[in-house]
Order: sequence, then C-alpha cells, then structure tokens
Amino acid sequence: MSDIEAGKFSIDELENVQITIGKIVGAIEKKAEEEGIEVGPTPKPGISGLRDWDYKLLSRYQPVYTPVCDQCCYCTFGKCDLTGNKEGACGINMEAHQARETLLRVITGTAAHSAHGRHILHHLIDKYGRDKPIDVGPSNLIAPNTQAVTGIRPETLGDLEEVMDYVEEQVNQLLATIHAGQEGAAIDFESKILHGGMLDHVGMEVSDLAQMSCLGMPKAETDTPLVEIGMGCIDPQKPVLVVIGHNVSGVTYIMDYIHDHDLDDKIELAGLCCTALDMTRYQAEKGGQPHAKIIGTLAKELKMIRSGVPDVIVVDEQCVRADVLDEAKKLSIPVITTNEKIMYGLPNRSNDSAAEIIEDLSTFKDPGALILNFDTLGEVAPELAIKMSKIRDDMGITALPSDEELQELSEKCVQCGACELDCPVNLPIMAAMKDGVDKDFRKFEELHDLCIGCGRCDQACPKDIPVLNMIEKASQKLISEEKGIVRAGRGQISDPEIREEGVNLVLGTTPGIIAMVGCSNYPNGTKDLYKVADEMLKRNYIVVMSGCSAMDLGMYKNEDGETLYEKYPAKFLAGNLINVGSCVSNSHITGTAIKVAAIFAQRNVTGNYEEIADYITNRIGAVGVAWGAYSQKAVAIGSGCNRLGIPVIVGPHGSKYRRALIGKPYDEAAWKVYDARDGSEMPIPSAPEFLLTTAESIEELFPMLAKNCIRPSDNSMGRMIKLTHYMELSQKYLGHMPEDWYRFVRTETDLPLAKREELLKILEAEHGWEVDWKRKKIISGPAMKADVSAQPTNVKRLCKGEC
Amino acid sequence: MVDTTKNTQIYSTYGRKMAKPVNPNVAGKMLSKAKRPLLVVGSEIVDNEQIIEKIVAMAKKGIPVAATGHSITALVNKDIGAKYINIHSLGTFLGDKNWTGLDGQGPYDTVVFLGHKKYYLDQVLSGIKNFTDLKALAIERHYMQNATLSFGNLKPEVHVEALAELVENL
Ligand code: SF4
Ligand code: SF4
Ligand code: SF4
Repeated sequence: MSDIEAGKFSIDELENVQITIGKIVGAIEKKAEEEGIEVGPTPKPGISGLRDWDYKLLSRYQPVYTPVCDQCCYCTFGKCDLTGNKEGACGINMEAHQARETLLRVITGTAAHSAHGRHILHHLIDKYGRDKPIDVGPSNLIAPNTQAVTGIRPETLGDLEEVMDYVEEQVNQLLATIHAGQEGAAIDFESKILHGGMLDHVGMEVSDLAQMSCLGMPKAETDTPLVEIGMGCIDPQKPVLVVIGHNVSGVTYIMDYIHDHDLDDKIELAGLCCTALDMTRYQAEKGGQPHAKIIGTLAKELKMIRSGVPDVIVVDEQCVRADVLDEAKKLSIPVITTNEKIMYGLPNRSNDSAAEIIEDLSTFKDPGALILNFDTLGEVAPELAIKMSKIRDDMGITALPSDEELQELSEKCVQCGACELDCPVNLPIMAAMKDGVDKDFRKFEELHDLCIGCGRCDQACPKDIPVLNMIEKASQKLISEEKGIVRAGRGQISDPEIREEGVNLVLGTTPGIIAMVGCSNYPNGTKDLYKVADEMLKRNYIVVMSGCSAMDLGMYKNEDGETLYEKYPAKFLAGNLINVGSCVSNSHITGTAIKVAAIFAQRNVTGNYEEIADYITNRIGAVGVAWGAYSQKAVAIGSGCNRLGIPVIVGPHGSKYRRALIGKPYDEAAWKVYDARDGSEMPIPSAPEFLLTTAESIEELFPMLAKNCIRPSDNSMGRMIKLTHYMELSQKYLGHMPEDWYRFVRTETDLPLAKREELLKILEAEHGWEVDWKRKKIISGPAMKADVSAQPTNVKRLCKGEC
Repeated sequence: MVDTTKNTQIYSTYGRKMAKPVNPNVAGKMLSKAKRPLLVVGSEIVDNEQIIEKIVAMAKKGIPVAATGHSITALVNKDIGAKYINIHSLGTFLGDKNWTGLDGQGPYDTVVFLGHKKYYLDQVLSGIKNFTDLKALAIERHYMQNATLSFGNLKPEVHVEALAELVENL
C-alpha cells in the first residue's frame, strides 16, 4: 500500500506547481484502519464482486420471463425471432435477451438517479464547496448504502464525488455488457441486474444526502409540515407557475426569487412529480417558507396542462412527458427547460438577460427557452408567469370543451373500440360516449380517477375525438374538490429511532414494514393506495411512503375528513406512517434496513454488503410495493431492494417489466439456511416467496403483504402476530383461509391465540400432525423447528468453524 | 353459432407466433379432449354473474379451477373446489415438470383463461408461449395474441353467448 496521501501538495522548489493526488488503491482500507474501522471483504465491488451472493438468491428465486416482444431488434443481423427460447443470429437466446432487456432497464433507471445525483452534487459543490459537511440529523451511520457498498464513510460533499465516480464507472461497465456479442448467460445478466439495482440506491443516497445537507431539508424529523396537494388546491385566478420533474436544483432559485421579491401571495407555485415533493422540503428547516403546492403525479401532467391553468411551465428531468412543449404551445403556455437531459429543441438562452427572454417568450417569438443559468431562471420563471397570466387572460384561452361540445363530440363516436383497446387500462370509453349523446356525462366522470392521463385514446381515435379532454371536462367539479394533504418528506430514519424500534422488527413483534413507493400506473385508480395503507396501519405495520405514491396517498380522507398523514404519527414505530421524501429518498428505506443490521445487530457495515444483505434477508420483515410502477427507475429501485433480500410486489402493469423472481414453495430443498452457530442446515418457511412479482388486485395484495413479512428468525410471538394477519387478511379479502398457513407453524405458540385449539384440530385432522391435547402441544408435524437463538444465514463462511 | 374469430386486432406486443382465432364449439371440443385441463379464472369475473355462471358450469363438467387475484371471492361458495393462486406464480409453476399441480395429481396439458386483465394475462401467456409446451386457450373478451388459440375481440354480450356455446360443447 502506498504511503502517498490523497490531497494537494506544493513542491517547494517549483513555485506555483501544485500536484493533486486523487484516489489511491487501498485508500479506503487505509483510512478505515486509521479510524479503527473494520472493512468488509467487498469495498467498491466490481460486477463480479457479489456474484456468489446473487447466485444464492437466484437459486431460490428463479427468474421468470414474460417477453413483451418475441423478437430481438438490437443489431443488423436481426430482427431475430426468439420465440420458444430460440437463439438469434448472434447466439443469444430468449432468456438471456429478456434478462439483458431488464438489465438495460435497470441501468437506465440507475443512470437517471445517479446522473441526477451527479448534477445536484456538482451544483451544490459549486455553491457550498467541497468541505460542506453532510448533515442528515441525529445519526452516526449517515450513508448506509454508500458505506455498505463502497466502504466510504462520507463526511463532506467532496467525499460524495468519489462515491459517484464508483457508481458511474460500474454503470458504464454494465452498459457495455448489453452490447450485442457480450454476455450470453441469463443468470449473469441477472447478477448484473442486481448489481445495477444496488448501485441505484447508492446514487439515490448521494442525491438526497447532498440536497438535504445544503437545501435546508428536514433531517430525520418526524414532525415535518403538512402540505397541500391536488389539482383543486391551485388558485387559477393567480398567475400559475408549474414545475415538472425530479431535480429541485433550479427550482430553488425560483422559490428564492419569489420569496425575496414578496411574491409569495401573488403567484401560485405548484409542482408535478418529485420536484414538487422536494419543493415542500426546501428550507422546511426554516419554517417551510416559501410555500409550494403539489399538483400530483405523472398521471396529472397532461390533465394539468390541458386544463389551460398554467401560465408558465418549467421542466427539469425524469418523468416529464415528451410532449409538454407541444401541448403547452397549443394553449400559449411558454415552456422553460432547465436541464441538459430535456431541451425540446429550444434555443439556449442561458447567457441572455432575463428581460430579453421574458420579452421573447411573452410575444411568442419562441414557444420556450432553455435556461441553464439558474439565477436567470429564478427571475424569468415567476416574472414571466405574472406577465403571461394577464396576456393569456386577455387572449381568452379556453382549454376544455363546453357542455354542448361534449355532446357533439359524443355524437361523433362510431363505437369502433379503438380507444378502449389502446387504453393501457382498457377503460370503458365507448359506454361514456353512448351516454354523452344524451347529455349524461357521469360515466366520463367515473373514468377520471381510473385514467392515468396518457392520451393514447386521443391518438387512437379515427374520428379525432379528444377523449382525455372530455374526461377532464366532465370531471371539473371532482377536480376542483381534489384537495389533499401530504406530510413533507422527512429524510432518513435516525439511529436513535432504530435503536427504539429495531428489536421489535427483528423479533417480529412489529409485524413488518410496508414500503409503498413508485409511480402512478395503477390498475384501478389512486384510491387503492389509501385502502392498502389504511388497512396495514390499522394492523400496526410501519408504512413507509415515497415519490408519487406518497403524493397519491394524501388525496383521500377518512370519514372524519382526515388524510392518513393527519391521522397517523410519523415516527419509525409500529403503526406509524412515514413519508421519506422524493424518489431519491427511497435509498433511506434500504438504508433503514442496513441501519437495523448495523445498529441493532452490531454488524460491520463498511464494505460488507453480503453480510448485511444476508442479515436483512433472514430477519427484517419488509416488503416493497410499487403498485403503479411504470418507469425504469422503479425497476432499478426494486432490484436494489432485491439484492438486499427485500421482496417487492408490483401491480399488474408491472408484468410488462417482463421479468420476475419467484420461488417455488413446493421445492423443499430451496428453503433451507445454515444455522451460523454450527453450520447445520435448517428448513425455513417459504417467505418471502418471491423477490419480485406482481399482484392482480389489492385484495390479492393484502395477504401477500402479510405472508411475505414472515422471516426465518421470527420468534413465536412475532410469528403468531404475522400469521394472524395473514389469516385475517386472507379471510377478509379473499374470503377463505389460506391453504398454506400450516407451513409457517413451528410450534403451538406460533398459532394465533384466539384460534389455537381450532387450528390444532385442523393440523391433526387434515395434515396428520400429532398433538398432545392435555398440554395442547404439537408433538410432531412441523417441517421447521422453533429455536429463537438460531442464527439463520445463507452464507456458509459466516458459520462458526467456517472461514 | 357465434363467430369469435373476426377482430384480432392487438395493441402493443408483437411476435411471430400469434394465437389462432378459434370458435367456441372447437374450443369446447378441444377442452373435452384434454387429459389434464386447468381453467384459470381472473379477478375481472367478480360481480359478473353471467360469467361466474359459465365458470361454474365448466367446473361442473370436470375442469379444475384455479382462481387468481381475488376471483376466489366469487367462487368460494360455489362448491367447485376452486383454489387460489397468484397468476404470475402459476405461470411459473406450469412450466416446471416437478410441479404436481394444485391438487397434487401432476402437471397440466391445457390451460384455459377467462376473466383476466388483458395486459396482465398477455404477459403471463407470453411466458407460457416462450418457455413451456402447454396449450393455452384464451376465452377472454379480448384477443390474446400470446395464447395458442384465442377468441377475437368481442362485445360483452357476444362473449357471454360464446361461452354458453363452449359449455354446450364440453
Ligand atoms: S442482437 Fe442477436 S438476437 Fe438481437 S437482433 Fe442481433 S443477432 Fe438477433
Ligand atoms: S388518457 Fe386515460 S382513457 Fe385515455 S388511453 Fe390513457 S388512461 Fe385510457
Ligand atoms: S376510438 Fe373514437 S370513435 Fe372509436 S370508440 Fe373510441 S372514441 Fe369512439
């Protein structure tokens, strides 16, 4: 190992010469050694670094492929028909190609998050310097994902650069393997998928750590402010400035300008997607001023634009519709792009004065502008909104059809069904058109919540009927009442909170963590999220929200007029509801699991990913739900959870990710772990049954959630609680007792107390178990033994006597 | 006789091997000949009494029923021994020679689908088409291009009529 240190050196004899030494091989280990920290076996793992771990996971949870297209169109040998797992001209078969496609999807998502991280990091380093300390609140383990993966314990913004270097290098290596004529084995593509997912959580973590530290965002606070959400909370009488995207960097300049120029009450500032969530976190430390409102998710983008309400639209990156400019142009709404990832062919006005840009956009010389200079952006966006509001009022822009037009449009419909077939949710549009002829528009109104606002129906209709506008017009009353409450994202779960709750989680007495994350491609409207969270909270699960799901959850109120955010406290405790924040805050969910291993079980985190993942797999009953997952980012997030052994359920649309990881409960050999005390094999329950799968409806989801929170290390009390919920939810939502409940029973004390006798009778009569009725004890039958002090592990080297 | 072979418009996926359009009488006969058929029913049947009735009729003619999603709620009291299973898992197990089926009697040779979300089933069928030798028959209201045989896109009333004809031919 070199004795040279990283940093800047001047050489005395040579004036003005400065040598900068960056990364040195072995530097992480050396730094750690000096600080007395043990470094695990895999700091900064390369693609093959955790392959053994992946193979362990993949031997139990086998990849299941459901191709969206049976052909491969990658290269000029093809198109190749891969139907029936055939090989293409390059030799790749369907299985490997599907895995390759998923890998591409995952690293696209990872790149989106980490490029966002790099962008915001650059920006904040420019503004605050490399030495700006990272501050996440009361935690010693401030970057759990980063530390577990890279071995780096970042303390300043500058330290995060090295982390990003690693992520970017790995993503590039992974991307190269997609190229035709590289990897041929599906299983190695699978391992690469998990690698990409792991990197995603590091990239997200960097993003959020940087912005939390510099932008006054809440730091592991439980009592973050409640903010308004919904199309109905926007006051269209004021100038309306709408921002869309995921990267709040530029938006903070707009917010500062509005605040500094006393425009807070004179302008409506509202956001769509995660930028909106991060706007509500901006300077929340200082009392949450200036306020910004949340409109909602991607599903509301087109609806919001077509309402004609925005006077100016600002976009940054990710989850922004590609047609924002075209749609906005039709309604004379100028669009400002602020990030090189989305430029829409607009002229670059970054070096022009605010006055010039405002003049050109307000006279429609250009439909919009690219402004990469945030100082200029900060001034242009609000001032232009004020100006445009008047201009657009004077122009008398009406966006949606009138009642008469609604009826006329309904009459134009020839009931051909093209819209319904093309609608991703196959919504019954024809029936609404039929009633519309008689001026009954209620069916259009019913479509409003179910419609994901994609606009495909408009494109499909041979009669050019603007179906989406009709839905929106008919739902104006509903939309005006769309006002909800969201708790602003709180950031990480702190170390002290973990200390308080960790033991309950590990022992299983808190029934589990349900993390509801992701986008808005729901099969059945937004209310389903509310139903799921409500049920699980009542049952004392910890419910964690982020991103678009966190927003949509705030759209519904209970009979007392409260949203769940108002009803439930937001600590990391059983029965609490937590919004961690925007998409990049998802890293705090995996970070929490890592923290439990580190803090509660005293596991070494640094560069020790496999051991941490093994611990989480066997002990932490967490299930991720991305009910409306649509994006590449969502699949990347899911894959990162998967590598840590956290199962993820996506809604039925998620089947279009074309891959799942599903175990076979009937394959007994797959459900075994070692007991780390002596290396002996022990059978375990088939839960989690999958690492990634889909559910058809929330009714099916409920029991899946409860069952898949079961872990090998549950104690009897924990298993009893989890099993009770599994049985109850199955009975409540599927109308029957689950067939496999007995598989999770190790001893009579695992059985729900109230039903113990009844269940013992069933075990005896239907499953042939032996019961000592005097003592009400199970004598024989269970496949598993109950042993609280057992130490389940999948990693042989962690067993006593092994090395 | 209902013609269920006409409108085979698809909407998003593509492959060279597409389902052959089939009429209900042929589908019915094929099903009766199957050694080990399985009727897989999805959540879209809940609240659709007419379809539930047809499922019960098919089950009573000896076809075992797998109930996916929450479709089991509509079948628990029908005395047809329907068993709940997640469809993504089912699609996986169906391709495994070691799976002994929902009743432990061994693998299935013909799977029939009814009452599913179009886009969801299409994916499951794509897995079955590409990775198993099973015959998959879609008797849905929509053309399912990844099945072996499928009805075309039908209006709801025609669909019910077609199912009735299928049941008669069992
Ligand atoms: S990459 Fe291979 S399978 Fe794909 S089109 Fe080219 S030759 Fe065919
Ligand atoms: S905009 Fe709504 S109704 Fe139209 S295709 Fe998309 S989801 Fe269906
Ligand atoms: S595509 Fe157009 S014409 Fe055809 S049913 Fe839909 S709205 Fe009517």
